[in-house]
Amino acid sequence: MKSDLLRLNDANRRDFMLRTAKSVLGVSLLPGISAKMAAAEGASVSGPGTPGFGKAKHVIYLWMAGGMTHIDTFDPKTGATKGFSDPIKAKADSIDYLGGYLPKLAENASKLTLIRSMSSKTGVHESGTYIMKTGYEPRGTIVHPAMGVWASHFLGRIKDVTLPDSVIVNSGSSYPGAGFFPPAMSPIPISNPETGLQNIQPTTTDNQFTKRISLMNEFDSSFRKKFQSEDVKAYSEFYDETLKLMKSEDLKAFDLSAESPDTREKYGRNNFGQGCLLARRLVESGVRFVEVQMGGWDMHNTIDNAMTNNGNTLDTAFSALLLDLEAKGLLESTMVVLGSEFGRTPDVNENDGRDHYPLSYTTVLAGAGAKRGYTYGASDKEGRRPADKQASPQDFLATVGHAMGLPVDEVVMSPSNRPFTVADKGTPLLEVFA
Amino acid sequence: MKTTQTLLAGLFAAGLCVGSAYAEARTWTDVQGRQVNANFVRIEGENIVLQTADGALHQFPLTRLSAEDQAIAKAAKPAETAPAMESAPSMLANATVAQAAAKVDQLVASGLIKANPERAKAGKPPISKYNPMANDEQFVRRVYLDIAGRIPNFDEASTFIKNSDPAKRAQLIDMLLDSEGYKTHLYNYFAEMLRVKTDFETDNVRGTPYIGWLKEQIAKNRPWNEMVYDMTTATGKMWDKKPDGTYNGAAGYLLRDAGMPLDNLANTLTVFLGTDVACAQCHDHPFADWTQMQFYEMASFFGATTTRLGAKDLGGTDPMSKLMAGIEPMIEKSGQDIRRLRNGIQNYIRANQVAVKDRDMNGTKLPHDYKYKDGKPGDPVAPKFVTWSAADKNNPAYKQSKKNEEKLRESFSSWMTHPQNPRFAMTIANRMWKRAFGAGVNEPVTNIDDPDQSSNPELLKHLANEMVRVKFDLKQFMRIVYNTRAYQSEATTEKIAMGEKYYFQGPMLRRMTAEQAWDSYMTLVLGQPDTYKAPLQDLYAKSIDLNLETVDPQTVLIKYDAYRKIQQKENALMGGGLEMAGGDMMMEDKPSRSTKKQEVAETTDGPGKVLSYEGLQLLRASEIAQPARPGHFLIDFGQSPRNLIDGSTSIGNVPQVLTIMNGKAQKMLTSPDSLIFRNMEKVRDPSEKVERMFLTIMNRKPTMNEKEIAKRTLGAGEDGYANMIWALINTREFMFVQ
Repeated sequence: MKSDLLRLNDANRRDFMLRTAKSVLGVSLLPGISAKMAAAEGASVSGPGTPGFGKAKHVIYLWMAGGMTHIDTFDPKTGATKGFSDPIKAKADSIDYLGGYLPKLAENASKLTLIRSMSSKTGVHESGTYIMKTGYEPRGTIVHPAMGVWASHFLGRIKDVTLPDSVIVNSGSSYPGAGFFPPAMSPIPISNPETGLQNIQPTTTDNQFTKRISLMNEFDSSFRKKFQSEDVKAYSEFYDETLKLMKSEDLKAFDLSAESPDTREKYGRNNFGQGCLLARRLVESGVRFVEVQMGGWDMHNTIDNAMTNNGNTLDTAFSALLLDLEAKGLLESTMVVLGSEFGRTPDVNENDGRDHYPLSYTTVLAGAGAKRGYTYGASDKEGRRPADKQASPQDFLATVGHAMGLPVDEVVMSPSNRPFTVADKGTPLLEVFA
Repeated sequence: MKTTQTLLAGLFAAGLCVGSAYAEARTWTDVQGRQVNANFVRIEGENIVLQTADGALHQFPLTRLSAEDQAIAKAAKPAETAPAMESAPSMLANATVAQAAAKVDQLVASGLIKANPERAKAGKPPISKYNPMANDEQFVRRVYLDIAGRIPNFDEASTFIKNSDPAKRAQLIDMLLDSEGYKTHLYNYFAEMLRVKTDFETDNVRGTPYIGWLKEQIAKNRPWNEMVYDMTTATGKMWDKKPDGTYNGAAGYLLRDAGMPLDNLANTLTVFLGTDVACAQCHDHPFADWTQMQFYEMASFFGATTTRLGAKDLGGTDPMSKLMAGIEPMIEKSGQDIRRLRNGIQNYIRANQVAVKDRDMNGTKLPHDYKYKDGKPGDPVAPKFVTWSAADKNNPAYKQSKKNEEKLRESFSSWMTHPQNPRFAMTIANRMWKRAFGAGVNEPVTNIDDPDQSSNPELLKHLANEMVRVKFDLKQFMRIVYNTRAYQSEATTEKIAMGEKYYFQGPMLRRMTAEQAWDSYMTLVLGQPDTYKAPLQDLYAKSIDLNLETVDPQTVLIKYDAYRKIQQKENALMGGGLEMAGGDMMMEDKPSRSTKKQEVAETTDGPGKVLSYEGLQLLRASEIAQPARPGHFLIDFGQSPRNLIDGSTSIGNVPQVLTIMNGKAQKMLTSPDSLIFRNMEKVRDPSEKVERMFLTIMNRKPTMNEKEIAKRTLGAGEDGYANMIWALINTREFMFVQ
């Protein structure tokens, strides 16, 4: 245990990364079994050389929690199901209109690709969220990994920094996290972008802190010897990783105060706006996958009020993020993705709200290899069903996985020996890539 | 000879005073006063042979026993066969806890042996018996955590360890089941299962009366079937006051999912009947082919029920437009800006429309995308109960009237909570079993697809029968479980893969839940955390309540004003400092070493004082916001966000480790004001101080090696104690329940 500690003090960064990569990748997983469908299909739909493959070195997933209304945002209608606001003409080649609550995004629509033919089976928040983050329906017997964790599995830990591969902003929980992969691969949740990583400073001198760690390991040695379970080991890995992070120079990525007041204002002074700004900083520092959550989308009542607030927050932050990424030259390598568990009913209910509606909704892609100002698929006239090129949550996530350069058709066996693929055999929508 | 002595010492140390229910076992005392619970087997020459409940035989010189026990041994008749795996008598209605526990043990034991072919497939060695008996130190920590939801404090742990009464385990179980901690810990469990939240979806609607109701039922040890019946049949607003002075909190169950009746039904079936209907979407159910039609037939029982009162429920007038028409001129007259106030007032009124009511029309229809041959979209659906097997047709639970639209929920609830419902008793029994062992007999507990596929079908069925036999008395059921030999075994050390079946040779090693971890910290800080309760149980219900049929505009404004003041009042109520904790300081004249100003606020109800430390409210998890606010210790530790059934996680993460290492909670514990230090100050000798520190934090004495480490640490500088406290709360041993 002592030698562990010494090594930790003077270990160089690369050593640590190698060690973590080993512990993360080497544990309990059989080597991936290639199960290319190519043999049957005649040609691979994904893989090196196909459009957009591997262009997204980073992904920022804007998560609209609660079920984002498609008709009032990215798939506005003018007929019987029109919302309370008038659609705005989008400035883009093949995007017609955006919802009236999103004027800034309409202005920047030339950076967006809309997938307007999304359709899913579940109108329940929990399972809808789960499917849109993992590609799998929730099961009582297994937890599936989130997309950023699949990337860590196939691409290895990010290089040259001690920062985590994946971060979730505006959430206290990383669920579903690493799923059946080792827990050390879990995204790090940041509850509040303003405070960043809390408790990162020890409350004592470095010297005393080192003593404490050493004592901890001594007192704990017999317990760890007796209980060599994965859970206990995973905890010890988290301690190692945390200690490394505490000493890291890279931590300043979490500090929003390094941004000018002007920049911070542009994103909107709210958790989602500042969360998007934090996502940009993290991506800039090398983090691979950042999810930024925004709540308030479960608009069963008075949707006009609710959209006025939420629409503005989203419009401001998303636009600022795109402009900022572009200005910094990061939009070429970063894909911004927007999703939600489902859409909302085309018909307005008795409370002037809309209810859960999985049959038709919209997701958004921007940056990396995605086409600029493009609409993939369409819903019908009233936004009730996909009318063209129906896409499932699995197709959507497979598209993201493809953009990240993941082998989406490669089968990975879980520790319980069950076969899984990125996005549950979804087909990447190659048409969205330029 | 030396071997025998070592073996004997081990036997007596490991099995100290088992108050378990092992048939015919007795407590044997040796010449040193150490005790073990074991069956007499025979005398062989100079030696006696005893069998402990794990089935192991122990042979040692008779002279090692106390004189009294030597006499008993000489008079005893040799056992004809080893009793461990014998069949126990069938359960009588009035069986004692000991008999009931023995029967459970018997089923667990036979399940262990039957498991071996399955284990062999997983590459595991065969097992034939339980893990060794947990020692007193392990037991006292575990049983406090499992029953009272926290570690024992110094006095509680040392009292138990010193106690030489052979029945002390059973006594401690009884004592804890009647403690405050039992209530708060069981509440935490149900709050997670039922996704209880402080803030409901509609503005201003808080779960407070629902939370209060749940706690009350647990405190009264209300039978589970009655509680559930109340929840699914309650009518009205949560804050309606009932004739007996209690609030109608049970309505919170349906209102939690207001406007989402289908979600609510899916959750009801999952939680109370262990039937996950989501599976019908993608694969055939092995016994009962769940179809979408069946789901809607079940939903039809709730088809006449609304969770939002409209004009037709309130005497024909829309309360909002009627009241606002009177309120708006009043506000304009007073010179205030109606545009700034309107939304708030409307939301306040609207909160009172959130209520459960049964109408006389069942509106259940097939969805617009219905695509099966047995119906068309928009077809009305009549209520019908699902069955799990052909035999269910003759099951008395199914004899329910479905005629009266306004009583459909009652029919459903009578069927669901009926003792003979094929899943109701089994589901709660399986869940309660998991609380003790870390795994259900059937996993997952949310889907008992086929009981015969569970890890021990006989045990599962028996536990369901036991639940019925004790009339859904959860406390009595848990008393039986905690008294089993299986539960009192050491935690299992072997690796168990996700999804692998578990056979209960002892409890699984579990990480503390977020609530257990927080409440254990609170124990380290406060000593008796249950003496500190959240204030304001009542204020919310009083100030939010409007009778929308009779209230006049002026009253709405007055009450709205009062309502808005609650928040300010709540903020003012938090305050006392760390030095107030533990009680004894307040009695002593000795001035506190802390220079911080002591502010203890008096409250209107509740015991009175809420202490805080740097903004952290020092209250048990059950007493603070549900779920806790983002960034709170509880959230970092994986408390359920209360969206998913049983939605907590017990995996580590970096923020969590940062919290333990550098957060406020550790600062509080290593501060010289902390209760740990104050306990240590009561003795002089450094080695005694160290022993107290270990007993307070780990609930065990330090080992020889640890004493050496402590000596070295104390010799190296002043901060030795604080460093050791820090180190101990950061160990895996602290975080995991053995």
